[in-house]
Amino acid sequence: MLVLTRKLGESIAIDDHIKIVVVQIKGKQVRLGIEAPKETKIHREEVYSAIREQNSAASHVGSEDTKKVASLLKKS
Amino acid sequence: MQIQTTRFGSLTINEKDLISIPEGVLGFADLKSFVILEDPDDLIFAWLQSCEKSHVAFPILEPEMFMSDYKARLNKSDREALSLAEGQSSQVFTIVTIPSDVTLMTANLKAPIIVNVKARIAKQVVTQENDHPIKHPIFAELQQRVSKVVPGTKPVAKASTEQKVAVQIKKRAAETLV
Repeated sequence: MLVLTRKLGESIAIDDHIKIVVVQIKGKQVRLGIEAPKETKIHREEVYSAIREQNSAASHVGSEDTKKVASLLKKS
Repeated sequence: MQIQTTRFGSLTINEKDLISIPEGVLGFADLKSFVILEDPDDLIFAWLQSCEKSHVAFPILEPEMFMSDYKARLNKSDREALSLAEGQSSQVFTIVTIPSDVTLMTANLKAPIIVNVKARIAKQVVTQENDHPIKHPIFAELQQRVSKVVPGTKPVAKASTEQKVAVQIKKRAAETLV
């Protein structure tokens, strides 16, 4: 991993079109500003871990579970 | 070709029905070859079944079954990954999680499975929309949909059948092949 030290207000350029700015430093928190083309997807890493978790939970669903849903829906 | 599945036994699949997910499903990056299965005993769900690991399968639903206005916007790199030409449409599925209390089941609207039906390439796309929850409750919505349907007919139209993205499981396939 490339590690760079930046001060408040300084930035990092990635490729030609992405810029990350240190906007605020407050205790243990850093606020980052990101300038990127509209096409660029930017997510907090937690979004990916939550999706991985959901995928893993879904992969444990059995075929009897989905049938249970169908019969429950029919009854009501 | 023959594939092994934990839920549906051994199945014979036409190679043209395979769906390739080059980037894998998040958390399952090693698995690239899938098939969408429809169980004739299950009128609601389809399954995204791994052809490489028998126990890995995800229950999937088309979002139209529980909401009318869902849209997953694809960007240029999504379209490239899917080999989708400009204006060419794709089919959208959401992965469903069913806990032991099935009324708490949820669909992942944040990261749908997008399928280029023609090229048979799919991708789990992480959408940029902030109003797409990872755990969207769907039981009540599904129930509403099912209650509107005339008894005896299929509760929800499976568009996937019409578009031939899915493979029907033939119940006797496993036995006759032995």
